[in-house]
Amino acid sequence: MNSNNFWKLLGALGLSFLLPWLFLIVIPFIGASNAEPVAYGADEEMEGGVLAYPDKSFLRHGASDYGRQIYAAEGCAYCHTQMVRPTYAGPDMWRPGWGGREAEGLARETQPMDYVMEDFALLGYQRIGQDLSNVGHRITTRELMHRHLSDPKSFDPDSGMPAYRHLYRQSPYGSGLVPTPEAEALVDYLLSLKKDQALPARVLSGR
Amino acid sequence: MTVPQPTPEDLNERAAIDRSARYPVMFFFTSAAAWLLFATVMGFVSSLKLRVPGLWDACPFMGYGRLFPVHFNALVYGWAMQAGIGVMLWLMARLTRSRVQHPVALIVFGHLWNLGVIVAVGSIWFGASRSIPLLDFPAWLWPVLAVSYGCMVVWVIPMFHSRRNTLFYVSELYLIGAAVWFPWIFITANLIINKGTAPVMGAGANAWYISNLIYFWMAPVALAVAYYIIPKISGRAIYSYPLAQASFWLLAVLAGWTGFSRYMGGPFPAWMPAVSGAAAIFILLAIVATVANLMLTLKGCTKLWEYSPSLRFTMLGMLMLALYAVLSAMSSTFVFGKNLQFSHFLVGIDTLAFYGFFSMTMFGAIYFIVPRITGAEWPSGSRIRTHFWFSTYGILTMVVTMLVGGIAQGGNLAQWNQVFSASFVNSSAYVVGRAIAWLLISFSNLLFLTQLGLMFLGKGRKTEGATLLHKEPGEASSAREVVGIQ
Repeated sequence: MNSNNFWKLLGALGLSFLLPWLFLIVIPFIGASNAEPVAYGADEEMEGGVLAYPDKSFLRHGASDYGRQIYAAEGCAYCHTQMVRPTYAGPDMWRPGWGGREAEGLARETQPMDYVMEDFALLGYQRIGQDLSNVGHRITTRELMHRHLSDPKSFDPDSGMPAYRHLYRQSPYGSGLVPTPEAEALVDYLLSLKKDQALPARVLSGR
Repeated sequence: MTVPQPTPEDLNERAAIDRSARYPVMFFFTSAAAWLLFATVMGFVSSLKLRVPGLWDACPFMGYGRLFPVHFNALVYGWAMQAGIGVMLWLMARLTRSRVQHPVALIVFGHLWNLGVIVAVGSIWFGASRSIPLLDFPAWLWPVLAVSYGCMVVWVIPMFHSRRNTLFYVSELYLIGAAVWFPWIFITANLIINKGTAPVMGAGANAWYISNLIYFWMAPVALAVAYYIIPKISGRAIYSYPLAQASFWLLAVLAGWTGFSRYMGGPFPAWMPAVSGAAAIFILLAIVATVANLMLTLKGCTKLWEYSPSLRFTMLGMLMLALYAVLSAMSSTFVFGKNLQFSHFLVGIDTLAFYGFFSMTMFGAIYFIVPRITGAEWPSGSRIRTHFWFSTYGILTMVVTMLVGGIAQGGNLAQWNQVFSASFVNSSAYVVGRAIAWLLISFSNLLFLTQLGLMFLGKGRKTEGATLLHKEPGEASSAREVVGIQ
């Protein structure tokens, strides 16, 4: 093979890959990078003086960043998704509580901006357990969340979730369990999982 | 059509190339096979853990969320990529009639790669995983893997550049494609994920990476092997050379668009999963044309399948590739995808890619290459037969139970008014199938590793004649002779 053909071939191999690389990955990535919060319009009144979507105080909770690391390290994302699909792609929105606060009319599928507080959206791999996009609305107290982690079968005897006993220590004062700092951080993170903030009109019309 | 018979000079040259490849390639194969055994045992343990969640749950190292990524990463980076790199080096050297240069550097970077995989797997197991499928390892590790891959595979390009043949092989196209595409995909996916400024695009890049790893690296390497082994063993030229070239370019143009359909309905612009789904469907054309082309090459001499281990593994691998392409196209449509997404089907189809078509083809290549580079024959044909059948039944059990189990689980997930745990309870029987599949596969790979270890230590058979599947050793020099072709 003469060297002219060689470079032509490499060029063709590169070009065939360059197009999807550019249009499917690089350009959408640059477009989505460093997304700024979207302010609510003047006529959209939000409870509690919230000014923009996503609201940081809404999504950050205690040591939730460390808790997110624990969530990833334990591989929670291999069984739990954080992605509520629209009804044309699955019945997620019909599951009670998956889409968010239904009673307040806030239930919706997840949006790209819902994940901006994280550095990687843990959308998940399989759905062995429930979707956790809005678990912070379904399990609301620390005590219940700890019980879910340390003894999931006490809620549903058929649950397929293992007990995360290594995140808890035996209490020196009796039969109870004492959470480690890791467990506390994980609970902070799980309680912060709420992806149902009301969307500003600009986000809705921009789709 | 027949191929010309080699002259004595050709044979001497081949022997010299094989000798130059011996130490690095044997190193890659043996360490890959050790990783494979580890990965398949972990596959069994993780499946068992999914069936019995309460098992050893006080031990942090025994959570499914750690075991499964350990198994997955060991399978892909420990076994698949390492075996693939060994095959790429040997095959490119043989095709371009050039020797493998710098064997010491190859072995050094091979050790660096192995060290990288050990750290990756260890960090996942000891709680530093990032839950990013196949890129779970800590962020600082990816340059190590990228550099050692680059320093091992870069030698393929000068070999190709200095080729002296007038004939142009399709295998060379696939090999050179795989060599240049993979680093590009790997670096892009890692940069985007570690930059962390667009979290949703990070998840998208991850799905794109897995799909591209399969269609832009595994499929090309496996097809390069098939385009080499099938004509070589049958003694015939490829059925249609233009078709082979056309389907190569079709795959090259389409594969980069796949991947996003894994997250269809997710928080992406709707066109992205749609484009990926369409690409996965059009890729069927390329894959089916390629597999048909290879099978038509074998028309009239399929009896060779009974004797040649390389051909048998390679043919099965190609059929599995066609099956993979069909299933992945099917699951990229809303009709099937919305129920199969996130179900056991996903594990089934990923395993079909990593073990079904890629590993089977690699076994075919290894059974072909190792006797040539070590100058000895495989110790036992019946062990190869056992390896084949246990692997085949294992992967079929895996695919069938995960496909049917995925449909059952997806159906349960779709029943929104049912208790959620019903989907777990109803699909747990299929997880037993998955555990049994990994048990069968682990056993077959134990045999494979011991056979390969004997060859590595120079304990292979030194008598004349290839080790065939159904023939006393030493009677015939090749499967073709037994079947009586030419």
